Amino acid sequence: MNLLELKEVSKIYGTLKALNNIDLSVPKGEWLAIMGPSGSGKTTMMNIVGCMDKPSNGSVILDGVDISKENPRSLTAIRRDKIGLIFQQFHLINYLTALENVMVAQYYHSLPDEKEAMQALERVGLAGRAKHLPSQLSGGEQQRVCIARALINYPMLILADEPTGNLDEANENIVLDIFRQLHREGSTIVVVTHDPEVAEEAERIVVLEHGKIARIEDNHRGEQEEG
Amino acid sequence: MYLRMITASLVRRRSRMLVALLAVAVGATILSGLVTIYHDIPHQMGQEFRSYGANLILVPSGEETSLSGTDVKEAVSYFPSDSVVGVAPYRYQAVKINEQPFMAAGTDLAEVRKTSPYWFVNGQWPEEPGSILVGTAVADLIRLVPGSQLTITGNDANGKVFSRDFTLSGIVQTGGKEEEFIFMSMADLEDAMGDLDVIDVVECSISASGTQLNSYVQQIEASVPAVTPRLVKRVTESEGTVLTKLQALVYLVTVVVLLLTMICVATTMMAVVTERRKEIGLKKALGASNESVTKDFLGEGLILGAFGGLLGVGLGFIFAQTVSLNVFTRPISFRLSMIPVTILISILITGLACLLPVRSAVDVDPAIVLRGE
Ligand SMILES: Nc1ncnc2c1ncn2[C@@H]1O[C@H](COP(=O)(O)OP(=O)(O)O)[C@@H](O)[C@H]1O
Ligand SMILES: [Mg+2]
Repeated sequence: MNLLELKEVSKIYGTLKALNNIDLSVPKGEWLAIMGPSGSGKTTMMNIVGCMDKPSNGSVILDGVDISKENPRSLTAIRRDKIGLIFQQFHLINYLTALENVMVAQYYHSLPDEKEAMQALERVGLAGRAKHLPSQLSGGEQQRVCIARALINYPMLILADEPTGNLDEANENIVLDIFRQLHREGSTIVVVTHDPEVAEEAERIVVLEHGKIARIEDNHRGEQEEG
Repeated sequence: MYLRMITASLVRRRSRMLVALLAVAVGATILSGLVTIYHDIPHQMGQEFRSYGANLILVPSGEETSLSGTDVKEAVSYFPSDSVVGVAPYRYQAVKINEQPFMAAGTDLAEVRKTSPYWFVNGQWPEEPGSILVGTAVADLIRLVPGSQLTITGNDANGKVFSRDFTLSGIVQTGGKEEEFIFMSMADLEDAMGDLDVIDVVECSISASGTQLNSYVQQIEASVPAVTPRLVKRVTESEGTVLTKLQALVYLVTVVVLLLTMICVATTMMAVVTERRKEIGLKKALGASNESVTKDFLGEGLILGAFGGLLGVGLGFIFAQTVSLNVFTRPISFRLSMIPVTILISILITGLACLLPVRSAVDVDPAIVLRGE
């Protein structure tokens, strides 16, 4: 069953077609990578799938609901309940500790639970840095906090826009390890990346060019553990 | 979590919040300071006005020709003792110096100094029995200087001629009819006249508003039939006019300053909020509703407003005190009611100032906010 379906999706900025007639289905549990040159519409697509933006044309069906028809208020609710977002620039709240940053997501979702937030940090290997402010954390650590935050409400879809774009090799591996584990547990993951090594890990690779799907590669190594 | 989040925002973003707090506090200071001054003006000016002389006089009622000391005492008891600046009784008597006729006034010279602080005395105020003051008109006419000896003659209460020697201690300049009088102590005049307890008029200088004075007049009229109290309209009415105009002026200044302060606080808060558009976008991306985000910022704003207001109450009083000491050279009284009023207004203004920029920021798509850089 498809968790996500894009049908003839376009996004037009003035005369620019950032997305041009995209058709794509993502089955539940799949790990999908999106590649493509800068400006090819990857972030635009993530924003639309992530309920942060609406397509100009076409429909986006997430878990049976056409999110292109929803109003901003219900989009906020869908985003909160079904989607975990990971950003290239981390986007942590700078005056809150790592732990509190995770708890904020709980707070807006339902109820903050310090113990559970702590477990999420443990899972990304940051139990020892829970009381640190973002400015006291390295880039890799910040991204791991961001991942812990994205996972805290058990989203059915994890969207990551260049999650390793600002990380060094070692941290990239830590993040990939977390993704592998999530994938094993059955999470649906969509990762935008420039990095072929990161894309390799996914089951399928969608390549965008000028807002269109140039090709889709099946990746047989995706199922293997430890590449 | 809500409280944890907003306190973290206030505490860990200390320098930013300090700027906002300062803006609120300055606004609250000026507001509470000016309002305090506004309310204190009648009191302050009332004291000030008393240097222009008596504002209430007591005269005999009806057919009576004089007042007795007991009547006067009873009438004066209707003034609150802390608002009585001075009460000076006068007894007038036609006398002669070198066969020239003059009017002598027996009075309590210590009280005259209080009721008529505008008198300018060349020489000294009399302190010993037998020393007197004369008006400049009198002094000019018979060429007297301080220290001169003079003899005053007249008819006493029984019609017999009296003659007394006096020393001139000072010459009075007022620009008014006082310059034609001779002033001596009540005791000296009574000694010469041979009778006691005759008072023609009592000048009272009372620190009170027009309405208060009117109520004293009514009370005395009702309770002391021998005494007729009268307001010195010339003084009380001009006092009222000056007061109204002055208060209107301060009121206007207060309103203008309040408006400017509001704009200043609003701009500061707007800057603080606009700077945090990304945070707003992020919170929305995490699934926060517009209401939640607004609530977060409003909470911060309200706390800022409350603390700023509290600070403003204290600083405002210091401000009002400084102004009062410099302008009126008198301390101002602290008004307890200023505490809740200032804090409430600060909270209101800060809340409003927060709400506007948050409202506009909250409607922006999180995608646009997060996309930047
Ligand atoms: N808000 C916007 N307004 C106008 N043009 C935009 C906006 N967002 C993105 N674009 C344009 O859409 C195209 C696709 O952008 P984006 O999805 O960010 O590409 P990618 O993430 O693949 O680098 C770019 O040419 C970009 O300039
Ligand atoms: Mg991008």
